[in-house]
Amino acid sequence: MIKPNTGELDPQESAASEIKSYTTGFIASLLLTVGGFAAALSDLPTTWKVVLICVAALLQIITHMRNFLHLSFSGGQSREDLLLVLFSAILLTIMAGGTWYIMSDLSGRMHQTMDSVASAQSQPHSR
Amino acid sequence: MSGNTSPIFGNLNWNVTPYTDLLQHVDSSTIVGAGAASVLVFGAIAGVALFTYMRWWGPLYRIWLTSPDAKKIGIMYIALALVMLARGIIEGFVMRAHQATALGTLAQPEAGLVAPDHFSQLFSTHGTIMIFFVAMPLLIGLINFVLPQQLGARDMAFPVLNQVSLGLTAAGAALIMISLLVGQFGTGGWTMYPPYTGIDFSPGEGVDYWLWAILISGMGSTLTGMNFAVTIFKERAPGMHFMRMPLFCWTSLCVAIMLVYAMPALTVSSAMLALDRYAGFHFFTNAAGGNMMNYANIFWMFGHPEVYILILPAFGVFSEISSTFSGKRLYGYTSLVIASMSIAVISFTVWLHHFFTMGQSAGVNIAFGIATMIIGIPTGVKIYDWMATMWRGRVRITTPIVYLTGFFLLFVIGGLSGIILANPSIDYQVHNSTFLVAHFHNVIIPGVLYGMLAGIHYWFPKAFGFRLSETWGRRTAYLFVGGFIFTFMPLYVLGMMGFPRRSPTFQNPEFLPWMYVAAFGGVLMMCALASLMWTFWTSYRNRTALAVPGGDPWNGSTLEWSSPAPVPEWTFPQIPQIQARGDWGEAKRAGDPWKGPERYTDIEMPANTAHGLLIAGAAFALGFAMVWHIWWLAILSFLAIPGMIALRGMRVITPKIIPAAEVEEADRRFRQQVASLASATRADEETERNRGVPDLSEFAG
Repeated sequence: MIKPNTGELDPQESAASEIKSYTTGFIASLLLTVGGFAAALSDLPTTWKVVLICVAALLQIITHMRNFLHLSFSGGQSREDLLLVLFSAILLTIMAGGTWYIMSDLSGRMHQTMDSVASAQSQPHSR
Repeated sequence: MSGNTSPIFGNLNWNVTPYTDLLQHVDSSTIVGAGAASVLVFGAIAGVALFTYMRWWGPLYRIWLTSPDAKKIGIMYIALALVMLARGIIEGFVMRAHQATALGTLAQPEAGLVAPDHFSQLFSTHGTIMIFFVAMPLLIGLINFVLPQQLGARDMAFPVLNQVSLGLTAAGAALIMISLLVGQFGTGGWTMYPPYTGIDFSPGEGVDYWLWAILISGMGSTLTGMNFAVTIFKERAPGMHFMRMPLFCWTSLCVAIMLVYAMPALTVSSAMLALDRYAGFHFFTNAAGGNMMNYANIFWMFGHPEVYILILPAFGVFSEISSTFSGKRLYGYTSLVIASMSIAVISFTVWLHHFFTMGQSAGVNIAFGIATMIIGIPTGVKIYDWMATMWRGRVRITTPIVYLTGFFLLFVIGGLSGIILANPSIDYQVHNSTFLVAHFHNVIIPGVLYGMLAGIHYWFPKAFGFRLSETWGRRTAYLFVGGFIFTFMPLYVLGMMGFPRRSPTFQNPEFLPWMYVAAFGGVLMMCALASLMWTFWTSYRNRTALAVPGGDPWNGSTLEWSSPAPVPEWTFPQIPQIQARGDWGEAKRAGDPWKGPERYTDIEMPANTAHGLLIAGAAFALGFAMVWHIWWLAILSFLAIPGMIALRGMRVITPKIIPAAEVEEADRRFRQQVASLASATRADEETERNRGVPDLSEFAG
């Protein structure tokens, strides 16, 4: 079989183990998707539903990366690729988290709250 | 506004040129404007005439514009950057000249060479040009030229994409240039903050010129970043482990990563502003829940990594030259690698320091202030490493070393003023003053400009086969150092005295002496520019005396010095097997480094194509059409770009095959020539005896 993302043949891995990996990934993703729908349709409290769906989504992302994109901590190329993905994730977290931190702080200090906007709109203009 | 838009010409009419302004009203401002447009027009006419007279159009098209060779693309990037540098320095000089004459009185507050609106355009174009169309093409060009040679690769991972990136950058530069002649440029500074640049306050074409130049060239830079990253990850010669890469490759890797992650933020903020202006969106207006602070936030999320995108290649150059010209191994390789990577990551966590005074609470400011001070640490490590590299080395005072020394002295001052500004409470006192202007020029000029010019001087023989004149090179370097000190040190003082940046006029006579000093510095910078151009010209005239066919004029230790100068298209007759860090230096130690390969094989190179040129043309047309609301042309060129990509995708592309016999003939000729040339010692390095074959017994790097 071909080593992930290199185009070189890997003598240690057989076709069977590759198919097994894809099948595991497929079944796990399927279960997690069904699990998400099941959580949404269930009678659980909304908070629980959201938490369950998020967890299922995260697990499914990990499954895809592991079984389909061949990212793992072992093996030279897979490890390198995984580190790149994690690095991207860190940078995106810094950017998104930083924006949220800055903008929520600014918003708290400069924007009117929604209530006061509504009351300002209801009042007649007095210029 | 849309009522007057012609369906064919959009908003274009005969009233948009500076000549019309001159006809309506003659004063120094319109004369300067029309003069600048005339320089552009006459320059273009003279260029066309020269190329036609010398019959250069064919070679220009065949050898340069359609070449996917990373080395040629790199040279074209640098040529573009030098043209834009000339405009940027002249604009800087006009601004200095203006402020030296801008002392108004209370009765008549406005004074000076140019009108306030014209002055605003000047600082906006100056900043935009210097960052996006001088510094970026310089460093991208240098990396394109050097990186594959240092890695032992024949070309970039995606040669045609590289051509497209160059085309997009050139299209953006062309938009900025045409704004001299057709219409006005924006007046919002190089950052173009809304709400001032929103459609309500800047209804004209000026901001649109900036937006489309940035959107188009920014796309090119993102693609370049991907290309560099893939090249470094996938195209290294066998045995070139990461920890064997020369430091310039490491800093290129950092730059690649930062380009990939930072440039999209700029594209996003510009696209949002474009949507605000063209489609009535409210991202950055107070109406309908928009927030203009978010522009500053997203812009600087790009802007701060950009600062390090600019400086890191210069750090790479300084690592190479400090080692080569001291005849010593680079001190602290591992610490330099770690420092570069730390800078690359930390640079993503400090962007708020560009808007400390925008109103967020003290806690937020402190968090980013601390992060800002931390990023000074790895930079300090680097300075010490280079000094330790030169310590007790046999340093030759060549042009790159003059630049390096200037960098040591001045960059540290700039870095220290940066640490001062990193403290939010001090930043509140001096923000938006010329103290800040002095600070960022103090890091960008000694850092980026000196670094890139040192790099150009260092690698020039590899590109054209002859060295640059050391005498004129050193004169240029001294002029740039002196010009910098006289221009920008007074701005520190003026900033402390309370002079706001971007002021078209002032009424305090105490500012005037410092303005005169700065204007004198501006004159020195103009002399430096002239001296730089003269260096190229005089070296070209003396090219036979300065020729270095041996290809290793400085007794270097990295791989690029193993090939002839100028480098053949295929760079290496056979991809080298890397045994050690500084592989070429190890080969020198082992004895005869110029051993040819035993067997020559056919070499496959990417074929020439006009793809990049066509996409650049379409991108320029798209930008120009959008600026002037010429909708039919915009739609046409917007569709043309994916159309051309699809067409190329459907064609079978045959690569160019260079037969083994041709490679063998050229390579054997080179090796015989090396054997026949007398080797030059260190003392002879600047003389005609230096033919590119160094005395191996002196090698200690």
